[in-house]
Amino acid sequence: MGALADFRQIFARHGAAVGLFIAGTVALWVFVLIVLPQIAMVLISFSHNLPPSEQGGPNDVYTLSQYGYFIFGNDGGFNTLHLTILAKTVLASVVVTVFDLILCYPIAYLLAHGARQSMARLMVIGLIVPYWINEVLRAFAFRILFGSTGLVNGVGMTLGLWSEPIDFIREDVALYAGLTYAYILLMIFPIYNAIEALDRNQIEAARDMGAPWWRIHWRVVIPMAKPGIASGCTMVFMLTTGALAAPQILGGPSNLWFTQLVYQWFNDASNWPRGSAYAVILVVVCILFTLLMMRVFKVRIGEIGR
Amino acid sequence: MTKTITLDHVSIRFGQYLAVDDAHLEIAGGEFFSFLGPSGCGKTTLLRCVSGFIQPTEGRVLIGGDDMKGVGPNKRPTALIFQNLALFPLMSVAENIAFPLEVRGISKAKRRKRAEELLELIALPGTADKKVTELSGGQRQRVAIARALAVEPDILLLDEPLSALDLKLRQHMRTELREIQKRVGLTFIYITHDQGEALTMSDRVAVMSKGVIEQVADPVTLYDRPKTSFVASFVGETNAIPVSVTARAGDRVSAEGAGGLSLHGVAAGGRQYKAGDACLVFVRPEQMRPARPGDNEIAAKVVGDEFEGNLRHLMLETSAGLRLRMSLVNDGSPPPIGPDGSILVGFPAENGLVLPDGPLAKG
Amino acid sequence: MSSSAAGRLGTIAFCLLFFGFLFGPLVIMVLTAFNSSPFPRVVPWDCFTTDWFGKLAGDAKLLTGLGNSLFIGAGVVLLATPIGLAAALALSEVGPRLRGALYTIFISPILMPGIVIGISTLMFWGRLGSGLGFGFDSVFFNGFFLTILGQVCFISAYSMLIFIARLQRFDHTLTEAALDMGATPAQAFRKILLPFLRPAIFSSAVLAFLASLENYNTTVFSIVAESTFTTELASKVRLGIDPSISAVAVVIIALTLFGAIVHEAWQRRAAALAQGGATAARILNNPVNAFIRHPATVAAILVAVIGGAIYLGSRHNSDVCVQSILDAKRAEQERLQQEMRERMQQQRQDAPTAPGGSAAPSTPFGGVFAPGGLGGGDAAPAPAPAAPPSAPSTPFGGVFTPDSLPKPVDAE
Repeated sequence: MGALADFRQIFARHGAAVGLFIAGTVALWVFVLIVLPQIAMVLISFSHNLPPSEQGGPNDVYTLSQYGYFIFGNDGGFNTLHLTILAKTVLASVVVTVFDLILCYPIAYLLAHGARQSMARLMVIGLIVPYWINEVLRAFAFRILFGSTGLVNGVGMTLGLWSEPIDFIREDVALYAGLTYAYILLMIFPIYNAIEALDRNQIEAARDMGAPWWRIHWRVVIPMAKPGIASGCTMVFMLTTGALAAPQILGGPSNLWFTQLVYQWFNDASNWPRGSAYAVILVVVCILFTLLMMRVFKVRIGEIGR
Repeated sequence: MTKTITLDHVSIRFGQYLAVDDAHLEIAGGEFFSFLGPSGCGKTTLLRCVSGFIQPTEGRVLIGGDDMKGVGPNKRPTALIFQNLALFPLMSVAENIAFPLEVRGISKAKRRKRAEELLELIALPGTADKKVTELSGGQRQRVAIARALAVEPDILLLDEPLSALDLKLRQHMRTELREIQKRVGLTFIYITHDQGEALTMSDRVAVMSKGVIEQVADPVTLYDRPKTSFVASFVGETNAIPVSVTARAGDRVSAEGAGGLSLHGVAAGGRQYKAGDACLVFVRPEQMRPARPGDNEIAAKVVGDEFEGNLRHLMLETSAGLRLRMSLVNDGSPPPIGPDGSILVGFPAENGLVLPDGPLAKG
Repeated sequence: MSSSAAGRLGTIAFCLLFFGFLFGPLVIMVLTAFNSSPFPRVVPWDCFTTDWFGKLAGDAKLLTGLGNSLFIGAGVVLLATPIGLAAALALSEVGPRLRGALYTIFISPILMPGIVIGISTLMFWGRLGSGLGFGFDSVFFNGFFLTILGQVCFISAYSMLIFIARLQRFDHTLTEAALDMGATPAQAFRKILLPFLRPAIFSSAVLAFLASLENYNTTVFSIVAESTFTTELASKVRLGIDPSISAVAVVIIALTLFGAIVHEAWQRRAAALAQGGATAARILNNPVNAFIRHPATVAAILVAVIGGAIYLGSRHNSDVCVQSILDAKRAEQERLQQEMRERMQQQRQDAPTAPGGSAAPSTPFGGVFAPGGLGGGDAAPAPAPAAPPSAPSTPFGGVFTPDSLPKPVDAE
C-alpha cells in the first residue's frame, strides 16, 4: 500500500516517462542483476556436479553433499584443511581490520579536527591517489618490498637485525601488510564522516574541564565515531575476507585464503556446485559478521556504507 | 483578468495531524489578501493547496468559479513566489524570467523580448544576461516577481517572500510590492508571520492559529475590533487582564479582577456574557494613561522604564502581580509617578475590550 | 606546554609514518621500473634503463586485455550511470519506511564479496542459457556480456551513492517552481533536475569506468575465456614478476597524477569563479593569469613534460651499462666459484673432522629462522654454502622463480 503510493508519487512528480524509467531500471537492477543471480548460485550449491547433458535429468536432484564436503571431506572425518582455512581467513581478516582501525582512527581524527583546511585537503588527495592504482599493482608493490632482496630485507640486514633474507612471503607478513594497506581508505572515510559532525566546542569544553586526551577520545570522540567505526570495520572485514588478488600474489604457497579455495573449485576443478557452496559459505560468514558488528556497535544497516 | 478564489470548507490532514481546519472564505479579484499567523499555523499549507501542490482532504478550492480538483499546479492560473524564491541557479536572469514561456514552446526571440519588458517593469534593465548569483537580495526578489508575472497569472501567491531580506530592504519592498500589485491589477495572496507586513500592504487579512482561521477583516477592524483573544494578542501589542464578569448592560460589561480591580469594558462583537464568566479585558498600551475621572483605575508600581524619544514605555505591576505595559506620547511633561514609584493609571471603558478567555499568542 | 609539544611531535611522526606506509611501496615500485635488474629491486642498483617500457609496449596479451577492458568499461558506464541515477531518484522520493529497505537492497552489492557477484552472475546466466538450449558459444557464456553485468551489479551502487550525495543538495522547490510556472513534470525533470545532476553524471561515469578497469575479484570469474587488463596483469604477476609490471604502475601513476592535477586546477578555477567578485576578476582580467591558471594550459604543460620524458627515455640506451654489470657479475661469479673450489679442496683435506656450526641447511631457508641466524655479527651475508654453482646469477635464492610461487594446493 505504502509502496504503491510512493511510486505514484514518483510518477506524479517527474511524469510517466521518468517514472517508468526509474521503476524499470531499478527493477532490472534489483531482480536481474542482484537477486536472481544470488538465488541461482544458492540453488546450484545444492546440486550435484553433473555434465551439461545430465542437467535437468533424473540425477539432477537437490543435495547437501557440497556443504557436507566442506565439513567432512570425502572420508567422513572432519575436513580439517578447509575448516582451518576458513577459520584462519576470518581470524586474519579480524586482525587486519583491527590493525586498520588502530592505524586509521588517528588519521581520521586529524583530518576532521586536527589539521588546517589546506593540509586536510592535501591529506585527502594523498589518501585517494594510491587508490586509483590497480589492486593487483598495489599487491605487486608489496611483493617487491618484501622480496628477499626487497627493501625490507635490505634495510634489516644492513642494520644487522637479521643476517639472512627472511621469507616474508612464506611467513604471510607480506600478505597481512598488503591487505592492511589495501583497504585503509575504506576505514578512514566512514570514521572521518562520523567525527566531522562532532562540534569542536565539545572537545574544547572537555579539555577545558581538565579531561586528559585519552578520556576526551573515550568519552566524546569515539561515541560520535561509532557508526563510522562500525561501517569502516564491516567494509574492511568484508573486503579482506573476500580479497582474491592480494592472497594470490602475496600469499605463501602453503597458506591459502578461503577465496582461493573457491577459485580452485571453479578454475582448477571445474566443480561449479561445490564452488557455489563455498561462495555461499563465504557470504554467510560475511553476513554473520555484519550482524555481529551491528549488535556490538548498536547501529543500523542504513548507517553502513555511507 | 482577475478571478475570485473561494475556499469552500477546506480541511487538510497529514495523517492524524489536522493542518487546516475548515477554512471558508472568498477572496475578490484584484484584492491584496494576506494570511497572517505564527509559524506552523497552517498558512503555507493553505497556500500550497491553492497553488495545487496539496489536495484538500475535505472541501473544495474554486478559482473563478471552477473547481480545481485534479488540476495540477502547472495547469492553474496561479503563480507562486517561494519563500526562498526558487530561482534557477544554473540559468541567467533572462532565462529564469522566460522559463514559463520556454516550457510553453514560445520562440526564443519572443521570450527574450518579453523578459526584457518584464525587467523594465521591475526596474532592473540590463541585467538580462547576469547570473542569478550575481544579484543582490532585493534584485533577486524582483526577478522572482518578474518570473511569476511572465506566466500572466490571474493570481499571484507569495510565501513570506521578504523574510530573507534585511529590515530596511523589507520595508522598501513592502511599498514596492503594493505598487506592483496596483500596476498589474492582479489578485495577490500573501503569506506572512509579520503583522507589520500584513497590515501595511493588505486590503484584508485572515489571521490563522493552529489551522483555524480566527478572523478575516481589513487591517483597521483587525486592530481595533479583534474577535478572539488570539487575534487581540497577536496583532499589535496589548495588555490582557484576566477578570470575572459581574454585570452586563447592553454591550457594556462590568467585571472584577485580582487585587480588587473593578473594570468596565465593551463586549466585542456584541457577544453575550453572564455573571461569573471568565474573560479577558484587552487594552492597548497606547490607550492607557494617567487616570482621569471616569476611567477604569488601576494602582500599580513602575518596575521598568524604556525611553524611545517620541514614546515612553512604562512597565507596571499591580499588588496582585499583574504586569501591564503603558506607552505615553512624549509631550514634555513627566508622568505622575509617586516618590515610591507608585502610579494610578486608567483607560476609558470604550477602550477595554472584553473577550472570552482563550489561548493567547506567545511573545 | 611541553606535553602538548610532545603530542604535536608524536602526531607529526605518526603522519609521516602513515603516509610513508601509503606511498613508500609505490615509490619503490616506480623506481624498480627504471632499474635494469631483471628482478624488480632498488638495491643494488644496476643501470638506469627504460627498456621495461619497451617490453611493455610489445606485450600483446596485456594490450589485448586493455582493449577488452576499455570496451567493458564503456559498457559498464553506459549501464551503471542510469541505474545509479534511477536508484537515487527512487530513494529520494519514497517514504522513510520503504527507503530503509530499498537502501539495504541497493547497498548490498557493495558489501557482497566481489567473487560472489562474479560467481552468481556466471551461474545465473549459464544456467539460464543452458536451460534455454544455448551452447557455450552463446551470449550467456560470453565473458564480455557476463563481466559487464557482473560489474554493473555493484558499480551501480557506487554510482547511486554519488547521485544521492548530489540530490541531497537539490532544492526541491526548484522543481515545484517549474511546475507552478506551467512546466510538465517531464519538462521540470529535463530542464531543472537533470542539469543540476550533470556534474554527478560526469563523476559517476569516471568512477564507474575506473572501478571497471581495476576490478579483479568479480571479473576473474565472469570473464570466462576472455581477459581484461587486470586479469592479464594478475596472471603476469603470478607467473613471474619482472620490472615491466612496475612500468605498468609508472604509466598508471603518471596518468593518475595527470588527472588529479588537471582536476584540481579545474576545481580551483571553478571555485574562484563561483566566488565571484575580486577573486574571479583577478583570474579573468589578467590575461597572463587567465592563461596560466586555465586547466587546458595545465594539461598542455603536463602533456609536454610527459612527452619530453617519453622522448628522452626512448633515446636512452643502457646497453653499455647493462653489459658492464653483466661482466662484473660474471667476474664475481668466477671468483666465487674459484673460492668454492678452494674451500672444497680444503674441506676434503679436513674431511675427518665433523662439519662446523654453519652446516649446509637441508632446506633453502634453513638457518634463517634459527635463533642464531638473527642479529649475528656477520652482517655481510656470506654466499649460502649450499647455493648451487649453476645458478649464481641470482644470489637471492630461488624464492621468486616461478616454481616456488604460491601454487594452489589441490584440495582433493
